[in-house]
Parts: sequence; C-alpha cells; structure tokens
Amino acid sequence: MNDLAISATGLVKTFGGKRVVDGVDVAVPRGAIYGVLGPNGAGKTTTLRMLLGIIEPDGGHRSLLGHSHPRDASDRVGYLPEERGLYPAMRAKDAIAFMGALRGLDLKTGRKRAVTLMEAAGLGYATDTKIRKLSKGMAQLVQLLGSVVHQPELLVLDEPFSGLDPVNQERLEALILAERDRGATIVMSTHVMAHAERLCDRLTIIAGGKHRFEGTVAEARGLLPMRAHYVPDRDDPALAAFLPEGAVHQADGWRFPVPDGGVEAALKRLIDGGHGIAGLSIERPGLHDAFVRIVGASALEGAQEIAA
Amino acid sequence: MSANSNRIIRQTLTIARRDFVATVFTPTFLLFLLSPVIMLSFGLVGAGGATSMATNAAEKAQIVAIVAPDQQPAMRATDARLRRLFGRSDQPPVLTFETPKAQPASQARATFAGAGADTTAALYGDLAAPTILYGAQGRGDSRYLAELAEGTLRADKSGAPPVSTATFKPIARERASSGGHSQAAFFSVFGIFFLSLLLSGQAVSTMAEERNNKVIEILAAAVPLEAVFFGKLLGMFGSAVLFVGFWGTLASQIAALLPAGMAGGLGEIGPAIGLPLFVPLFFAYFAMAYMLLGAVFLGVGAQATTPRELQMLSLPITIVQVLMFSLALRAAGGADGWVTRFAEIFPFSSPFAMAAHAANFSDVWPHLLALAWQALWVAIAITVGARAFRRGVLQSGSGRWFRRAARAPVAGE
Repeated sequence: MNDLAISATGLVKTFGGKRVVDGVDVAVPRGAIYGVLGPNGAGKTTTLRMLLGIIEPDGGHRSLLGHSHPRDASDRVGYLPEERGLYPAMRAKDAIAFMGALRGLDLKTGRKRAVTLMEAAGLGYATDTKIRKLSKGMAQLVQLLGSVVHQPELLVLDEPFSGLDPVNQERLEALILAERDRGATIVMSTHVMAHAERLCDRLTIIAGGKHRFEGTVAEARGLLPMRAHYVPDRDDPALAAFLPEGAVHQADGWRFPVPDGGVEAALKRLIDGGHGIAGLSIERPGLHDAFVRIVGASALEGAQEIAA
Repeated sequence: MSANSNRIIRQTLTIARRDFVATVFTPTFLLFLLSPVIMLSFGLVGAGGATSMATNAAEKAQIVAIVAPDQQPAMRATDARLRRLFGRSDQPPVLTFETPKAQPASQARATFAGAGADTTAALYGDLAAPTILYGAQGRGDSRYLAELAEGTLRADKSGAPPVSTATFKPIARERASSGGHSQAAFFSVFGIFFLSLLLSGQAVSTMAEERNNKVIEILAAAVPLEAVFFGKLLGMFGSAVLFVGFWGTLASQIAALLPAGMAGGLGEIGPAIGLPLFVPLFFAYFAMAYMLLGAVFLGVGAQATTPRELQMLSLPITIVQVLMFSLALRAAGGADGWVTRFAEIFPFSSPFAMAAHAANFSDVWPHLLALAWQALWVAIAITVGARAFRRGVLQSGSGRWFRRAARAPVAGE
C-alpha cells in the first residue's frame, strides 16, 4: 500500500494566460495533518482543486489515494471548500446527510450519523434547525461535519478557520484532531500560522504559484537561526556597538541572532563595556517568521523575474 | 454495469432528488402549478372586456330596410328564417323598417347620421333592384339585406309556405376529423412550447440559486459535473412531470364536465396516430424539448453572475425559442413542404414539429428516427452545457466570451 495519501509533481494551471500554479509538488503521508500554506493569491485553492479533480491541471501528475483519476476515490474523500455553501432551506442534519449521500452514504445512515456528530460537536440542539437560521460559525461547523459524515480516509479543508470566532476555532481544531485520531489524513490550507503550527505534522509553502518549501514545522523554523532577547539594565544609545551584527531594538529590549559560537562572547563584551543585564532569553523563531522569510524571498524573486 | 457507473447514477439521482424536493415542497411551486389558472384568468378578463365591447357595439348596430308597409311582414318573416343560418355570435344587426318618404335616397342616408343606433347598411327602392348603402363595417350586412330582398320577393312570388321541414340530430364521430388532427397538432405544439418556456425559466433560476448558495463546489468536488448537470435537469424534469400530470389529469376530465354539444366537439379533436400512441410520444417529445432547452438554459445561466447578464443572455434564447415555436406551428398545419421537413429535422424545433406530425399523420417509424436523433442532440447539449457550466461556475477555463471581450479575465487563486 502506498504510504502517500496524495502525491503530485509539477502541477501547472493557467488562467487567462497567467500561470497561477507553476510546478507545485505535494507529498502527503497517510495519517498526517498536512498544511498547505501561502499568502493570499498564492495558488493554494487552485492546487487543492486540482488534487481533488474539481479542475484539471494543464501539466504535471497527481495521485489521490492511489488513483490517478481523483474522482475514482471521491467516496473516500471529504472536502470543505473555501467558499462555504449550504442550501439555506435544508435542516442541518439533512444538509449533513445530503453531503454524505453525494459521497455514497445512504441518507438514513447519514441522518443518524449527523445527529451523533452534531451532538458531539455541541450542536445537538440545532439538528432540525434550518441552515438559514444558523450563525455563520455554526453553519461552517455543520459543513465540516458534512464533509466527514461518510468517514473519509482523506479530508481536505480549504481555509477552515476563516471567519470563525475563537470558540468555534477551538471546536474546529478539536474536530480536526479527532479525525486524525480516527485515522484520516488531513490536508488543510491556511495563511494563519498559529493553526498550522499547532496542528500540522508537515507542510508545504506555496507563493506566487510556485512551490517554496516542503517539510515539518520544525524544519521550517530551522531555516532561521535562534534569537537572543536581551533586556539592558538601563537605556544607553551607545549600546548597539556592543551587540552582535543584526541586533534590532524593540520596545521590550534588543533581539539579535544567536552567533555560531553562542551568546557568551556577546555577553562578555556587554559586561566588559559596563552594561548590565536585566533579562536574557533564547527564542526559537516561529513558523510565522519562517513563513515571512520564505514568502518574502519568493516575492523578491518574483520582482526580479518581472524586472528581468 | 461498473461500480463507477453505479456511483455516478446514484450521485445523479441524489442531486435530482434534492432539487425535486427543494422545488416541489415550496409555496412558490404552488404558484408555478397554478400559473395556467392565473394566465387563464388574465385571458378571461381580457376576453371578457373585448366581448363586452363587441356586444355593446353589436347591440347598437342596426340594418335598415326602407320598404312599403305591405312588404314589411314578408321581409320580417324572411329575416327570421335567414337568421337561423347564423350562429349566436354571427347574427346580423337587428332589422329596422322605415316607410319610404318622398326622397328615399336622402332618407336612407339620414339613417347613418341618426343618434341612438349605428346603421351599418340601409336598403331602399324596388325590391327587384334595390339600392343598398353601407358603412365601413357594413359590407357583409349589405349583402344580407340583398339576400333579404331576394328571399322576400321569391316567397312573395311563389306564395307558398316553406315546403321542407328538417329534423336535426346531433351525431358524434367515431374518429377525429382531419381538422381535429390539425387542432390536436396545434395544441401539442403549444403545450410543449408553453411548458418548456415555463420550465426553462426554472432552469435559469436554479443556476442563480447555486451561485448564491455556493454549493456548486461541494457538488463538483464529489460528482462529475456532467452528473451534477444531468441531476439538476432530472430534478426539474420531475417537477415538470408533476405539473404535466396534474394538468393532464384535469384536462382529461374536462370533457366529462362540459355540456354534451361541446364534449362532442372535443371528440373531433384527436391525433391521427391514435391516443394510446400519442400520449407516450407527446411525453417523449416533451422530455426531449425540455432536456434540450433546459441544457441550453442551464449552460447559459452558468455564464451569468448578475441578473442583468442573465437577462442579456436569456433574451436571444427566448427569441430563438419563439422562432422554433413558429416553425413548428407551420408543421402543425399539416402542410408537406420543406419548412415542415426542416422543422422536423432541426434539433431544437424537432420535438415540437414531431409532436405535430404525430397528431397529423399515422405513420410510426419517423418517430423512432426522430427520438433517436433528438436523444443524440440532448447528449450533445448536456455535454456542451456541462462544459459551459464548468467554465462559468468553477471559473476553470479561459474565461467567459462575453466578459473576455470586455476585459481581461482575473486569475483566481
């Protein structure tokens, strides 16, 4: 059995003469939560649509749950699109059952499971409520439940957290983790790094339609050196001369990249220069920083391409 | 059948079922179901107004005979006899007598200027060679006055009362008449046109609904777009069948509710191919017309994002639809010519024209050919429509032609 739930190489899609996806590779291990990250307009949604067979790529190869035609595996896949859509006149449990029926689950079983899922998600009181009467966050959760009601092997979520309040974001995170624990592979696109950092085992970063990074969250963070956060005992404009190259003054102190030999030499220089230490900590760079660096570099590259 | 085919059929039916339920179980469907009554009511109100105007005009009209008093009773009797030849709505205006004065010509002219009644024709002079004046609407009435003079003189010269006394007995034909075939053809063409016009509007609004709800991507992710498209057509077709069933049942009972004379008249209207064959053929042609037009409307509806665009695109299609109707009406007349043949072969008029053919002619084999031909075009229309649908709704493709002409397409994420 293939260890990859999704594999794609060199995916290309052109709209109106513009390449919105340009040679993207994706390799999603089974059982993982896989993040597809990128700034707005990066080509994330188009990539996911091609992987699912909603639109056909203009170039490249893809395999979804072992099928080169994604539709052949459609009953084993759940999908939450970026633009949420439900029939407003349907009752919540019927909407969930309908989405299951599209993926091969009979309506009767679908309705039963819908009630169970809604109760587990804290929405048991709304099973017979029409979609038009639900809040946006509740409707979004109902749609997510509709994408898992047939217990798919692969769940694809396009910007699942957008528009949700913190409480519903937490509910959604719990649902995603529960799906992973059930054994499902989850692919989610987002540009909110905190969610990706908390949830994703692996991720890919796309910018300007191109593939920029693929690896674990730790590997992404490892692209940047660790930083020291130094809080001096007093303000002194001459302090910068005693700090390593790249030191930046911020409201809560100074930050500088930890030199290859460690911070000891820098500290010694400060103390020798008569500067005291009110606080010192070593910070690991976050995914946010890694993302900004990767995407920033690609933006620079894109600008150079345009200039050329 | 492969598992894949089974899955696609199941998914298609799931979408069809949803659309059927969503359409039928709404108050709007009741309005849709009763739309013929609403239209009929408007028609009756309009017709009532027109009839009232016509009746008022008829009540004020008169024809005038300026004849000697001794000739008036004979002429009155002839008038009574001749009036029996006319139906209630075709009766000539009431006959008024005047006794000739010194200047009968001036007297006759004066009747047209008189207030209170509108003289349409006036007769004066010797009945053997009368002069008859008539106004703009009175040409027919002048001929009636001439016939009245002729009849009066003949009766006067023979001096005998009518010698023949007829007995009238109504009889119902065992088979529909040739005229009845043409009428059946007209009703078939009109019925299919009317239904497809009503329902194709529904097809467009379905697309608007999908766009507003943004459900289309969920459907497209799970189901091949052709199946989504076909499922939607089937769902709407289901509601159409309900509509046809409802009105068909009512129409079949109409004969029982009508007075005997009118029911007999309806009995003369019928298809040449025979009712048992005509009913399934009508249904099949209705299905073909509906699928063809529905596919076109769905495909077109998918291209439009605003009501204005929808109107812009729907108008030419409606015009073409009316053109097809006119073409098929020509075929309904039963005339055998190239226009009829063209209407029967051209895919978008073929269902209408062939339904008319079934009403006019008894041959069966052309229908087998026509249905196969139309089914081929339904498949083509659905395939092309689904592609347009994909391009329009999922924005997967090179953009919409009418928008591309106006501006460069925006690349989606």
